[in-house]
Amino acid sequence: MEGFLPHPWWEVWYVLSLPVVVYGIYRINQLAKERRETLPLLALAGAFIFVLSSLKLPSVTGSCSHPTGAGMGAILFGPAITAVLCLIVLVYQALFLAHGGITTLGANVFSMGIAGPAVAYLVYRGCTRSKMNFYVSIFFAAALADLATYLVTSLQLALAFPSATGGVLESFGAFGTVFALTQVPLAIVEGVVTALIFKYIIQVKGDVMVRLKVIDEKRLGKLKEMISA
Amino acid sequence: MDHALLDDYALNSPLRKKNNKLKLALVAAALLVGVSSTSPVAPLFIALTMSLAAILLGKVPARFYLGLAAAPLSFALFGAVIILFFFGSGPEIFSLEIFGQRVGASAEGAKMAVLVVSRTVSGICCLFFLATTTPMVELFALLKGLRLPDTFVELSMMIYRYIFVFLDVAVKMRHAQVTRLGCDGFRSSVRSFSMMAGTLFLRTMDQGEKLYTAMDARCYDGKLSLFEEKRPIRAQELLAASTYVTVIAALAYLSRGTSIF
Repeated sequence: MEGFLPHPWWEVWYVLSLPVVVYGIYRINQLAKERRETLPLLALAGAFIFVLSSLKLPSVTGSCSHPTGAGMGAILFGPAITAVLCLIVLVYQALFLAHGGITTLGANVFSMGIAGPAVAYLVYRGCTRSKMNFYVSIFFAAALADLATYLVTSLQLALAFPSATGGVLESFGAFGTVFALTQVPLAIVEGVVTALIFKYIIQVKGDVMVRLKVIDEKRLGKLKEMISA
Repeated sequence: MDHALLDDYALNSPLRKKNNKLKLALVAAALLVGVSSTSPVAPLFIALTMSLAAILLGKVPARFYLGLAAAPLSFALFGAVIILFFFGSGPEIFSLEIFGQRVGASAEGAKMAVLVVSRTVSGICCLFFLATTTPMVELFALLKGLRLPDTFVELSMMIYRYIFVFLDVAVKMRHAQVTRLGCDGFRSSVRSFSMMAGTLFLRTMDQGEKLYTAMDARCYDGKLSLFEEKRPIRAQELLAASTYVTVIAALAYLSRGTSIF
């Protein structure tokens, strides 16, 4: 939220996010040199993340909320590139919809564009290595990415506004509990939705996943068999 | 269409004709003063003046403007309540019993909560001013001028172009699903939403390939050139802008440490 984080915290998060974004741009440049169709493809993926995050997710309590879409981006394109896409999407959200803001951009990029996707990527990798079911690993990746985003946001708020009696830890607990009410069910819904999205994509046009190197031919064949069976 | 984007107002704004660098610098200065102010006086002044500028000079309908501000404000108030109860020490001004636990709010916490909300309001108003007076298309040229990497600016431009295309597609799919009872109950809502997102993703990928072919056929070599209209800054505009920045900076300095209570 614009202006919510006081000096020096908004600057700190900018400084922390910057290297990741710079690395992401470097990676995109590299990929674009290798395969020239990269840039248009990534641009469309960015538009997809924006549209997804501006739609309302069906929610348990009737309160509406917005999926982050970042977990999905990380599984498809890797965390560094997702950070760049998230940065652009967050700027647009600030300018078009007045969500987020410019001074808090650094903090938002860190929680939604870096921490979330990094967790999603690591969890997805870990689950794949342990030969877990494809959809279950996507569920965990997306749900845990959501939770990581919310924990980092609580931490950012707690660091900026430490409690008088218990310090950072106590206000972390306070912000965390309040957000947990809405965020834990949401994380589960987002996990389910992301897993279902992948299921539809594989059902309709699985070769996209192979081309993005999310899965290989053999795995795709098996997954398709499972759906038709 | 059921999404009103701020950009639509920017395209019709009378302030669109003013120099973009000046507008951007003005908003950046006001944002910085607002966020670093230690009393709520300067941020509230900035919020008021920016809103008046957007409504009177920028001709944004006042009702639309207020509706816009409601959503981010509710989040800010929510956070402020937590700060109120957990931040700061000193004499308690009031306390509540929640689930058998006594929660007290100190004067310092209240001061902090008011300050944070006022900073947030000032920031939101600055952003609204920029968003309703400067179309995104014109900011791209500015970004290139700031020497941001070409790939970054180009990625932003293409994302910008396709956001509108796919928002339309998504809204159409949503209407189609709703009219076929696709959002009847929680389970089917989740199912419909995932189906829509999956289809949307495949559409974006297809469109990405088409876009590449189209650009390739027109000799795209990794650089899009932009046309930037020259709008010189008039002396009185520069004077007005710098007076405004001086006033808010002075106000923030003079009122430092004071609070409304």
